[in-house]
Amino acid sequence: MAPDRSELLKDLTADEAQRILAFGSRLTVPSGASLFQLGDPAERLFLIERGRIRLTLPMQVRGRQEDVVVEERTAGQTVGWSALIPPHKFTLAATAPLETEVIALPREDLRKHFAAHPTVGHKITLNLAVVIGHRLQLFQAMWLREMQRTVEKHSA
Amino acid sequence: MEMLLMVLCMSMFALAVTAIAFGAATHPAKSSSPDTPELRPVKAVAPGRFFADRVVPPDSPGSYVPTEVLLAQIENHVRLEQAAAQSFLESPSHAQLHTKTTSVFVN
Repeated sequence: MAPDRSELLKDLTADEAQRILAFGSRLTVPSGASLFQLGDPAERLFLIERGRIRLTLPMQVRGRQEDVVVEERTAGQTVGWSALIPPHKFTLAATAPLETEVIALPREDLRKHFAAHPTVGHKITLNLAVVIGHRLQLFQAMWLREMQRTVEKHSA
Repeated sequence: MEMLLMVLCMSMFALAVTAIAFGAATHPAKSSSPDTPELRPVKAVAPGRFFADRVVPPDSPGSYVPTEVLLAQIENHVRLEQAAAQSFLESPSHAQLHTKTTSVFVN
């Protein structure tokens, strides 16, 4: 995967990106299969090479627990950043709606590499902050929209 | 002559009976006496409907929607909300934050 195609490897040189990718193992997730479950230990970070990953949260619908999609990630994007953020547990479930290929990067390998190469660690941490920050801002706006409707409903 | 009188008597008797019956049938009902308790319907009867001329809305918006359809509506709602939130992030303003979507949950 070229650095410019990956949100996580952005601004890394080709050599730096190759060294990161060398830690990864390529996984093919069959259509409908799970990549990880909510609450699982987050040991690996995933770069989507091809396909699509649906991130879901459980919701009670008519007395049954259903997985509701909260976000979809496509090629070049990253899922499973809980691997780098304590307490290292997935806060969403991830499934592939179609056959999807991901590169799984083990947390421990990344941590050691970042310790040895702080510049690379800094770049990747910044890229990860963009991913996390974007999700935070998006959900913050969604939450405020929902709150606005709740207030309007109850003050009408 | 006897036969004629007999027929006449019978006719008069029949006419009298008919008049009494008619009078009983058309006489206004007497108001209920204090001894008789007034009977009230146990349950109010709904007005008659012919081929459901008035559509009664369900109690809640999702009552009669199949679960699969409801889940698809939820997913669509999340997508629309994300798109609206994304638009807000690209050009933050009060108007952008509260733009309406076509989601069935907010209309």
